[in-house]
Amino acid sequence: MPDPLMALSVAAGLLALTAVFLWPERGIWARWQHTRHINERVQSEDALKHIYKCEMKGRRPTLESIAGVIHANLDNTAELLSDMESNKLVSILDGEIHLTPAGREAALHIIRAHRLWERYLAEETGFEEAEWHGRAERLEHALTPAQVDELANQLGNPAYDPHGDPIPTATGQLVSHGGQPLTKLPLDTPGRIVHLEDEPAIVYAQLVAEGLYPDMPVRIIEISDERVRFWANGDEHLLAPMLAANISVVAEPVTAQEIEEPLSPDNDTLNRLPIGQVAEVVGIANRCRGAERRRFMDLGILPGTQIRAEMRSPSGDPTAYIIRDALIALRQEQANMIHIRLPQPEGQR
Amino acid sequence: MTTDNLTSTDILKTAEALRWQIGRDFHDRLMEDIYTDAARLADRAVTRPDEKPRFDLDRTIDRIVTSRTWGFPLMILLFTIVFWITIVGANYPSQFLSSILIDKGVPFLHGIANAIGLPTWLSGFVINGMYLATAWVVSVMLPPMAIFFPLFTLLEDFGYLPRVAFNLDNIFHKSGAHGKQALSMMMGFGCNAAGVVATRVIDSPRERLIAIITNNFALCNGRWPTQILIATVFIGGLVPAYLAGIISALAVVGIAMLGVVLSFVVSWSLSRTVLRGEVSTFSLELPPYRPPQVLRTIYTSLIDRTIYVLWRAIVFALPAGAAIWLIANITIGGTSLAEYLVNFLNPLGILIGLNGVILLAYVVAIPANEIVIPTVLMLTVLMTGVNAGAGAGVMFNAQSTSDYMSLFTAGGWTLLTAVNLMLFSLIHNPCSTTIYTIYKETGDKKWTAVAALLPLAMGFIVTFFVAQIWRLFAG
Repeated sequence: MPDPLMALSVAAGLLALTAVFLWPERGIWARWQHTRHINERVQSEDALKHIYKCEMKGRRPTLESIAGVIHANLDNTAELLSDMESNKLVSILDGEIHLTPAGREAALHIIRAHRLWERYLAEETGFEEAEWHGRAERLEHALTPAQVDELANQLGNPAYDPHGDPIPTATGQLVSHGGQPLTKLPLDTPGRIVHLEDEPAIVYAQLVAEGLYPDMPVRIIEISDERVRFWANGDEHLLAPMLAANISVVAEPVTAQEIEEPLSPDNDTLNRLPIGQVAEVVGIANRCRGAERRRFMDLGILPGTQIRAEMRSPSGDPTAYIIRDALIALRQEQANMIHIRLPQPEGQR
Repeated sequence: MTTDNLTSTDILKTAEALRWQIGRDFHDRLMEDIYTDAARLADRAVTRPDEKPRFDLDRTIDRIVTSRTWGFPLMILLFTIVFWITIVGANYPSQFLSSILIDKGVPFLHGIANAIGLPTWLSGFVINGMYLATAWVVSVMLPPMAIFFPLFTLLEDFGYLPRVAFNLDNIFHKSGAHGKQALSMMMGFGCNAAGVVATRVIDSPRERLIAIITNNFALCNGRWPTQILIATVFIGGLVPAYLAGIISALAVVGIAMLGVVLSFVVSWSLSRTVLRGEVSTFSLELPPYRPPQVLRTIYTSLIDRTIYVLWRAIVFALPAGAAIWLIANITIGGTSLAEYLVNFLNPLGILIGLNGVILLAYVVAIPANEIVIPTVLMLTVLMTGVNAGAGAGVMFNAQSTSDYMSLFTAGGWTLLTAVNLMLFSLIHNPCSTTIYTIYKETGDKKWTAVAALLPLAMGFIVTFFVAQIWRLFAG
């Protein structure tokens, strides 16, 4: 029989080693998988994407900015760029880097793969919002154009990714979302979020944590150099101008494609309905997607449906509601996604 | 542009341009409008009685069973009653079946075999191997299940079980699971295979997988007898006689509680690692109460659950019985196959505070946990040569606590062996019936492998650390 102390330390060591090796996201295996994908092709694709985005925003891509995006030093980046030039993906004239038509097509394919995959993650999986971008960043390099087309087909050829970015079509068409930074929206003018910038990830995570989502109506209450205070979807938000600039908005009304009753700041959400009271559904929040949204609709939670809060679980959550004569329990975080209006006294039918 | 000179490219171009104008999420909008229209039509066509009855029985019951004061005590009381009826009620039919099938059946079958002149090895293989293992599983398993499942189904039929899920959902929510997992877990106390089938009520894919994978941590009917026996013989023996009963009962309940805690812990880590990407939705319908249809309930629960599980168990117990008999009775160079295997597994067994006999018993008893103890006893006799009961190469149960104790002592068991056996009995791979059911339910080899190997790995780790720390302090 081995010495217990010895056996214990060996086993503890083995367990620790396994953890270091297999830990999700940060383990050696995960990191190795990650770096294995960073080869020259991936770097050149990331560089193409960066140059394309710079061109769209009217900025000039530089050697330094490209090196920053692909995590390489300047020498390697210069070498990569000259390779790309000889492959006729970019043209370099007087130190200015431009995409060739072939390069633009390649860049659009990557962007299309990225945004479609984000859409897929949002619609068909249970990954958290903050994870979509990182996962798409890895997978965009692995998908072939045929696979991307199939994915688009399966998703019903969506026009926008979940952040509000337009998805390029297979023929390379792309329109801009046409929004302006939230900070440029005049005071007290109703606007609507069209896009949340998903880079850098930390800023995006903060915007998600605020519960912001494309298509959400906004109105600025106060704006100064230190802070932006605004209404969005029934809640007051406070952000630093630097963060707020990552939100793109258009002034309302923009298109004729308005839902009958836009979710306005006067709306309440179902989780705030007191027990025993009745309310009418206005709509389901946009951030509720995929299976969850379909489930709500299956249950008959539709604009106009009367819902009555019936009872709360003795452990505090969930709450049971009477929806179309059925008693359905919903959790707090779900009820939060259902917008309601307390009926007007004369509104009795 | 008129329709005459429109070419297909023009149409495609127009469609391409329009695509950006129809706004985002138009599929959702379209669906929502269709649903809303359907609802409007239904509302116009369906008339409902205006006045609601002043006394609403459903809501009155709901107010009691989900009240802050009465909700939980009522729940505990009801389940205690169900378990009590099952345990007390199953005792007599179990003994009856065992005396018919084993005490009388085995000699009877041997008599027939002798009369028709079967060779000893064949009658041993068929009767002492296949028949005995199956009879064992049936007599231990059938009575509790035939009582537990109908009782449970009655509660379900009445409409009470969804309220339990409603009451407990918050706790399960915190570990990333669904409130209805409380029900599949409860069912798992009867039988893990039935518990896995019961997860069908969970409609969210991620939470259903969690419930399937963690169901094994609900101590099933096949493992209770092992726990009770070991606790009575070893833990009960530690304290004065008048405390023995209560202490050993507490030890068993403690193991079952540990199982519940583990299922929460494993649920929590699964939902944050391997199952993160699975779709998750929540909704829980609380159906109206109905007077339970007693006869139909008993019939369907017997057919759907009891017979189903029993049939699977028999199918798996027959070959297990054959295998057990073969390893005990095939000898190579004067030593039985079982002895080779036990000696081979012994170093690993000792390392995790068990022994080779127990590990081999768990390998051959993968089909049914019920035959672990009979196999352990048989192998102990085989290894030590102690003369007890039915003799070498045949499974048996000892007669009294002291008989068990002397056998176990002869096998070199200590209190550590007993504690680790109780732990390992809780934390090891599910039986083959359950594994097969998991495969049928998930349709996925990967999740089946996770469900089978995760608890096994955990069992080795837990027993190993307990053994080493025990030896460190107890010397």
